[in-house]
Amino acid sequence: MNRFLTLVSIAALIGSALFAYRVKYDTIYFSEQVAKMKNRIVREQDAINTLRAEWQFLNRPDRVQTLTESHTDLVPLAVQRIVRWQDVPARKDQGDAIGAKIEALGAIETTSAIVKKPDAKPQPKKTQEKQP
Amino acid sequence: MSNPRDLNEENRPHDDFLRRCGSAIASLFKMRIDKSGGRIIFVGLCFFSIYAIIGTRLVYLGLKPNEGQAVRAHTQESIAAVRPDIVDRNGVVLATDVKTVSVFAEPRRIIDKDEATELLTAVLPDLNANELREKLGRKNGFVWIKREITPKQQQEIHRLGLPGIGFQPEHKRIYPNGVAAAHILGAVNIDNIGIAGIEKYIDGLGLAEINSLGFARQPSDIKPIALSIDLNVQHALRDELFKGMEKFKAKATAGLIIDVNTGEVVALASLPDFNPNNPVDALDPNHINRLAVGVYEMGSTFKALTTAMALDSGKFKINSQLDARSALRYGRFKIGDYHAQNRVMTVPEVFIHSSNIGTAKMALGVGVEHHKAFLRKMGQLDRLRTELPENAEPIVPGRWGELNTMTIAFGHGLAVAPLQASMAVSALVNGGYLMTPSFLKQDGDRRAQATRVIKPETSEALRYVMRLNGTKGSAAKSAVPGYFVGGKTGTAEKVIAGRYAKTRLLTTFMAIVPSDKPRYLFVTLVDEPQALPETYGFATAGWNAGPITGKVIERVAPLLGLPPRFDPPEQPFPVMAKMNAWGSKP
Repeated sequence: MNRFLTLVSIAALIGSALFAYRVKYDTIYFSEQVAKMKNRIVREQDAINTLRAEWQFLNRPDRVQTLTESHTDLVPLAVQRIVRWQDVPARKDQGDAIGAKIEALGAIETTSAIVKKPDAKPQPKKTQEKQP
Repeated sequence: MSNPRDLNEENRPHDDFLRRCGSAIASLFKMRIDKSGGRIIFVGLCFFSIYAIIGTRLVYLGLKPNEGQAVRAHTQESIAAVRPDIVDRNGVVLATDVKTVSVFAEPRRIIDKDEATELLTAVLPDLNANELREKLGRKNGFVWIKREITPKQQQEIHRLGLPGIGFQPEHKRIYPNGVAAAHILGAVNIDNIGIAGIEKYIDGLGLAEINSLGFARQPSDIKPIALSIDLNVQHALRDELFKGMEKFKAKATAGLIIDVNTGEVVALASLPDFNPNNPVDALDPNHINRLAVGVYEMGSTFKALTTAMALDSGKFKINSQLDARSALRYGRFKIGDYHAQNRVMTVPEVFIHSSNIGTAKMALGVGVEHHKAFLRKMGQLDRLRTELPENAEPIVPGRWGELNTMTIAFGHGLAVAPLQASMAVSALVNGGYLMTPSFLKQDGDRRAQATRVIKPETSEALRYVMRLNGTKGSAAKSAVPGYFVGGKTGTAEKVIAGRYAKTRLLTTFMAIVPSDKPRYLFVTLVDEPQALPETYGFATAGWNAGPITGKVIERVAPLLGLPPRFDPPEQPFPVMAKMNAWGSKP
């Protein structure tokens, strides 16, 4: 009995030592990871900061103005270009633009007639036949 | 000694003593259970106290911060102090820190100084070899080789593998917008210490102390400073001023936009200006901030102050008659009008025709002491202190007599900073609240906290006469339709060698937008504009400062969120209409 207890206690001792060893090295490993991560965060923050500065450098108003003047036809907003809603003229009745186009092409039927094309088709053919 | 008896007698107590000592020593090693208990406790206590001392010392050492490292970190950081970012009122970056690397040497640790010099100059060709050799030859522990090198150079120097050469990460101040708002931002030196403008102001806030304690390691540790400036407006203002300066071949121009209700400076430009990325330029005397550091005789724009004083004193009403039929004589001096009307005029007429005679008579009417007290109340006689460290003392006449009051009434004989005059005019039109201009973003209307300097009716009268000047007077050329602009021009002859020079003018224009309920005050200053064919040979403010301001207003108003109005406001000046003021009926 006594020997058994001794063996158990030795095993427990080795076990706890192993456990402590693992905890210790895990701690070291994780604290290294934390330090690395912190470093990376600092580097990222610096990079973000640099990029922000660069973004602003490229978007600085005088550069944008020079680019706009040389590459676009944009002009500064003049007072004359601002109008009230009620001053905007109502859109003129431009008629049925698509219908007019179809008419110009020579097809007199309305859109509803076009749907029934199969029925309507023979008609012009007939007239053609009659003509000669 | 020869007598044996004597000897025996002498020896006996000695023997006794030896025996007793011997038994005491023997008893020391004798283990007697009844007597040793106390001793064991004593020894135990000794050991316990020794271990307790060792233990407490260990705990103490464990808890104590690592001093050596802290000192090192501190010295590293203080080399280039961390500064907060500066952003404009919309959060756009105006100044920020970026990381750079500087290379240094520890001469005592360098083995072959000639070789080190040779290799370093090969990588950094702009270094002077002789100077570097001399630097490395010193007995210092530390010398800078070059500040702010590129990452590529750092790589190359690192590859040289020289002992005693090291790199130091540093913060470098960057102003990505270049010249925009240069006078407000100021500049920093190579150690990132503010030397001008808001940068210097930030240091005054206690940043230097924070840095020296090593609290701020990262720019993100400090909150950015939000200025009242709007970068887009600032750029538009500078651009228009630049065009105006070229057009009128002026020596300098300056412009200012103030929110009259909050006292915030929305834009401030003074040309010629400098690029804050190159701090040496900031110290050029030609690059001063003409609005805050320059003091000028403001000319006719000062008449707004005199008119307000006269109306506020109650001695003059809006329709009071002033005789401007002939020049005003005082001793051997004669005061005449530039746009002489030679008739009796009411106060609004005096204002729109910019009559020196009429204004001088108003000032004389209220008296010298009242005039002085009023100008002091309006902050015109003392140095104006804003966040910017650069400011100037107004030039006030030592002996202030009636003649001084007469000339100061129309803006001569008292030189003030234009920013100071703008502060006063803002107060005249915003309902009478005097606020020190601020370059930092404010939360909303500050009028409630401000001191009232004139009555609201007087303020309305001032807005009324300024608007009248915008429709009928000298400011008409700058009145952009739709914004209900009012303003006052001012043309002052510069003093050259103690005399007023007829051809060297300083023209100013102050405009309020919109006149019925002002939100912004626009100020333009042109130093020595030249007359052009299209200005018919005139070089007065109405022909240069006025139109420049008009262009600024037209361009900037949409940016500031000022909507144009198509119908003039109904009853913009109710009190003036009730008083049946001159010009209120079409």
